[in-house]
Parts: sequence; structure tokens; C-alpha cells
Amino acid sequence: MAAADSPSAALRRHDLCSRGIRLAGKMRSDVVDLLDTYVERQGLDASASVAVVEGVPAAAVERWDEQTGTQRLLENLAAYRAFRALLAQMLEEQREQLGEADAALGRALAAVLLQVSAFAYHLEELLRLESRGPPSEEGAGPPPAPHLGLFERKLRGLGVLRELAQWAVRSARDLRQLAKPSPGSSSAPGPAESP
Amino acid sequence: QNLKCVTHNLRKMICTWDISSKGRHGQTDFCYTTNDLPPPVCFKTKEKRVEIPIPESSTTVTITTNSVSGTALATKEFEIHKKDISFVPLTPHILSLTPDFSTSTLNLKWSDNGSVFPYGLDAFWQIQILRKEAMEKVTQVTYYSKLTHEDIILSWNWTSDMPLECTSHYVKIRCYINVTQFVGSKDWSDWSPVEELPGKDTEPNGNGVFPQDTVVAVGSDVTICCVHKEGQQIQRMTYGPEIYPMVHLSSRSSAIRVLNASASDTSGTNVVCILSEDEMDGTVLFVGYAPDIPQNLSCETSNFLIIKCTWKPGRPSGLYGKRRTKYSLFERISGKNVSCEVNEMNRERVCGFPVLADQKTYDFILGVSNPIGQTESSLLVDLTQRVHPKTPEKLTVSGNSSTSVRLRWFINGSFAETRLLCQIEISNGHPERKLHNVSMPGGKFSTYTAQLNTLHPYTKYQFRVRCSAADHFWRWSGWSRTEEHTTLEA
Repeated sequence: MAAADSPSAALRRHDLCSRGIRLAGKMRSDVVDLLDTYVERQGLDASASVAVVEGVPAAAVERWDEQTGTQRLLENLAAYRAFRALLAQMLEEQREQLGEADAALGRALAAVLLQVSAFAYHLEELLRLESRGPPSEEGAGPPPAPHLGLFERKLRGLGVLRELAQWAVRSARDLRQLAKPSPGSSSAPGPAESP
Repeated sequence: QNLKCVTHNLRKMICTWDISSKGRHGQTDFCYTTNDLPPPVCFKTKEKRVEIPIPESSTTVTITTNSVSGTALATKEFEIHKKDISFVPLTPHILSLTPDFSTSTLNLKWSDNGSVFPYGLDAFWQIQILRKEAMEKVTQVTYYSKLTHEDIILSWNWTSDMPLECTSHYVKIRCYINVTQFVGSKDWSDWSPVEELPGKDTEPNGNGVFPQDTVVAVGSDVTICCVHKEGQQIQRMTYGPEIYPMVHLSSRSSAIRVLNASASDTSGTNVVCILSEDEMDGTVLFVGYAPDIPQNLSCETSNFLIIKCTWKPGRPSGLYGKRRTKYSLFERISGKNVSCEVNEMNRERVCGFPVLADQKTYDFILGVSNPIGQTESSLLVDLTQRVHPKTPEKLTVSGNSSTSVRLRWFINGSFAETRLLCQIEISNGHPERKLHNVSMPGGKFSTYTAQLNTLHPYTKYQFRVRCSAADHFWRWSGWSRTEEHTTLEA
């Protein structure tokens, strides 16, 4: 964060961060529940190892503490925009493959997609506070879904959800880092406790 | 020595012989009589093989072997009778071997070479299917055809018990022609050259689990194979939660055999090929039922705009999404076809078909299909006898007398060519309710009225109404809402 915040901007950012942390916490628990449902409904082995899914940004990051606030926000936003598209793909495939047969899994997927979209919007809000604004979305979407067999798609979905669960944890940490008052601004209440 | 004559076409024969003495020889003088009548036909040949016409009955052959300088070394005479000639058809050739991977079916095409033979001969074709690196015989089939003195391309299909991708399949064919009037010995032709259908295990990037995402009927026996890279080892193959014993097909392919497959879950049964701790491949098998014949197919109209057909689907297919059972309604008289949007999760199925101008009778065929099978149900309907009006709406009761009231209601629908029978229920708090029937000409999205007399003065009544077709009763509509009205004092 380049310049020292004005008190109102710091308060606004702190508020957004706190709400973001809570949203990330909720998203994570929902994603974990969804993962259990997904594994069970798709007949997968919970311990199955899944290759890195193309188009899914990795949550693990080296030198996490050296990242600037803007870098954190930008990486988070890129990730959740990618997840938004990937989850929408999964939902579409779910409807195509199962129709009405597994409405519960479909609803759970849609609910998480909603949260991911909300979180992405939240991140855009935080970036707007940076007065640089979020990057535009043209051409930023993940690559079109490669032609995969159904089993590979099931594994891919598993990979997406696992990575999303990791990202939710990282996002909470990033937001907590962001919520720390930057130098020269008045101190603000500590961030909300995350999971 | 060993003079042998073989015919491939019943007209000419190829005679071959051996020469016993060693050493180098010059040309051979070959003479044969035609139907044992002199003079013989003679010619020289370097081969130990000649093609001459088949004799009517017999022929005398004289073979003289000469030295390189041309002096006769040995002469031998042979009497060849028709019975000494053997008939061996020419080796057939496979014209095409075409796979249909989606159905694991091979299509074989070959020419019957019939133009060579007289019309009407019976031909038998033995077809052998071989498989795997060791070219093990999988099956041998005899196919029958009749020759027509023309070259006909014959076609034959064979469905493999395993996906054609799993490993290479090979086909060869030979034939036997039953020439009853040919007195010599008759034999099978040679086998054709082998035609290969390469499996994915011969392609560099052919890895995968096959069949890919296919649908089979409950109770089927299914072979599923895993094609992997050279040098890789399959640790195990699982079908659903179970590990299955593997059958080696080739150095890059192994298979499991699932017997009497049971219905899969909604998302299918995963078949996983585990190659190492972090490398696996897989496919999904959907095991379901062919559609049941629709039960209780019934069609009616509530407004003469749309015909609503309903039916009971019978046993669920267990297939969903794009593999679900699909329905279409075909009407034979008009030739119109409608595909039905059906929610597979609710028990009753409904499909709408437009009422057609000037058409009273409808000959419906409800077509039902899913990837496993199809069936249909039919129904002939006279629409005027299947009128089930909608529930009357906007019932109002008015009256400015002590013993009579006027009821008015609206029915959503076009009944211009139908006479309606409406039933008015009258109750005034006593358990016993009176029913008053009234019939009236139908209208187009009309309001209908009826007058009730002989009521009691200053009495609170509840009225409600329902309607049906007057001429051919089919079903009552639902009851309208109840309307209250109190008659005036006397």
C-alpha cells in the first residue's frame, strides 16, 4: 500500500478485510463440505492424488510475507476469477451429465460459486480502495475446458475444489495481513477472528 | 511325377508336376488331348506348371523333359479324369475392415468373385477373428451366400466382447464353394492375408481406459481395458470400490472383465487404472435399463388448444442428464412430431401436443428411447371424447329475489364446438347438498351463466360449480371456489 491511509480509508479497508475474512472462512467450510459430497457423489477415492489442474492458480506461494498488499489482492482476484469460471464450467457439466438427478450436489456447487463470485467482487472493492482499481477481465479467463473423459473431469473437479479450499485459507491470511494498519494511520480494531 | 491338376474357376485347371531326376533341364514339352480326341495340343514350357482347359470327361497328358541341349530325357503319360481334378476357389481378399469404436463392431467387406462361377452356387465363407500380440483365435464364423454370376461385395459385422481400442484385432477369411455337379474333390480356399485393426496399444499416444464413458445394460458382461505407456506397470484396476483381476492383452494393455454389471449410481461407476502412486487413468461406466413401455398413456384437452398426454414411465432407467430417457410424441395422421421436455425426477410424465385445426381424431405414438434401447406406446383418441375442462373461475352469484339467483363463471378454454354440462352444488349449512345440472353451448374463453330457482327466502347458501363435456363425458373439471349468497326476504 503506497501512501499512508486517511483514517476513513483505513477504516473502510479494515471493514472490508474483516468481512472478507469472515466470507473466506464461511467459503472454506462450505467448500470442505462440498468436497465430501463431491467425492461421495462422484464415486471417487478421497485420497486420490490429482495432477495440477490447468487454469487453477496455486494457493501455495513462496516468500508469502514479502508480498505487497496490492500483489496479494491481485493474486487473490486472479484466483477467484479463475475459480468462478471453473466452478461455472463444473456446474454446466453437472447439469449436462446428471440433469435433475443430483440436485443436492448441483445446489451445493451453485452456492459455492455464488460465494466465490461475492468474494471476487469483495476483492475488487478492496482494489478500488487502492485507487488503481481491479484489472479488467478481458482475456483473463481460464483456458477453455480441454476435451476430457468423464473420469478426468471428475478428477479435475476434485482438484479445483481442493485448491479452492487452500485458497480460502490463504485469502484469510492475506486479508489479515492487509488489515494490519499501515504506518501513520490510526490504529483500528483488530481483524475479526477467522476459522 | 505327382501330376496334380487344380481348378479355381471350373473352366481352366492348373497342372503342376515334379521332375524326379536331378541335374539341369531344358524346356518341357507338354501335350494334352481335348476330350481324348487327337490331335493333342502341344507346347513347350520352362515351368512345371501349365494352365489348360478342363476336359469334358478326361484328357491324356504327355510330359517330355528335355536336356538343356533339347534332347528328350524322359517322357511320361498321364490319364486325367474329371474326378482327379480338385476344385479350390481363389483366395478371397478383404476389401475393407472398418471399426465402429462406439459399438465395438468390426465391419468386413470382401468380393465374392461370383462372376467366375455359374449362377446359384452356394458359397461358404469362414471368417476368423484373432486378437492380442499372440494372435489368439477369438472366434471363427461361417457365413453363407449364394453366387449370382456377378462380383458382389459381401459385408459382415462382428461385435467384439471388448472395446476395439484395447488391442489389435486381426481378420482372415477363406471360402468353400459347393459345386454339386463337380465330381472332383472340393476344398477350402487358402486363408486370405490377415487384415489388421490396430489397437490403441500400438499408438504412441494411445493411452487411456476404454470404453470411454459408455452406457451398458444392467446384467451385461463388460470388458474394460487400460492402455498405458511402454514399460509402465498397472498396479491395480478397480471397478467402483472393488479391485478386479487383470487379463494381459499386450505389453501396453490389460483388461478387467465385469460380469453381470449392476445399476450404477447417478454419476456412473468409475473404472480406475492405477499406474503409480500419483498417476491414474479412468473411465466412467453408466449401467442402466432400457426404457419400459409407457403405462396408462392417456391424452385429453382442457382448452382445445393443447392436448396433454400423461403416462407412467415404468421402471426408472437409472440414466440421467444427457443419457436420460427421452420421449417424443408422433401423431400419425398429421405427421407432426413433438419432443417432450420431461423432468426425470418426478414420477408422472407429461407432454403437450397442439390441437390441430379441423382434426378431431389423433393417432399418437409415444416414442421412448435412451442409449440402451427404445420402445413405444400408442393411443388413438377422439378429442371430443377427452375434454377435461379447467376449473371454473370468477364465480359470482347475484340475485334480487327471495327464491332465485343467477350464477356467472368463466372457463379458460375454447369450447366453441362443444356442449358443456355443468353441475352446481347448492348447500345451506345442512349436511345434504343439492346438485343442479345444467347444459349449455360452449364458448371461446367465455363466461357462462345459470339461473337457480325454488330457493328458500332469506337463506344463506354456498354455491360452487364444475363442468365437463355434455356429449361425451370424460372428466369433471375441478370445483370452482365456493361463493356465498343470502336470498332476500320473502
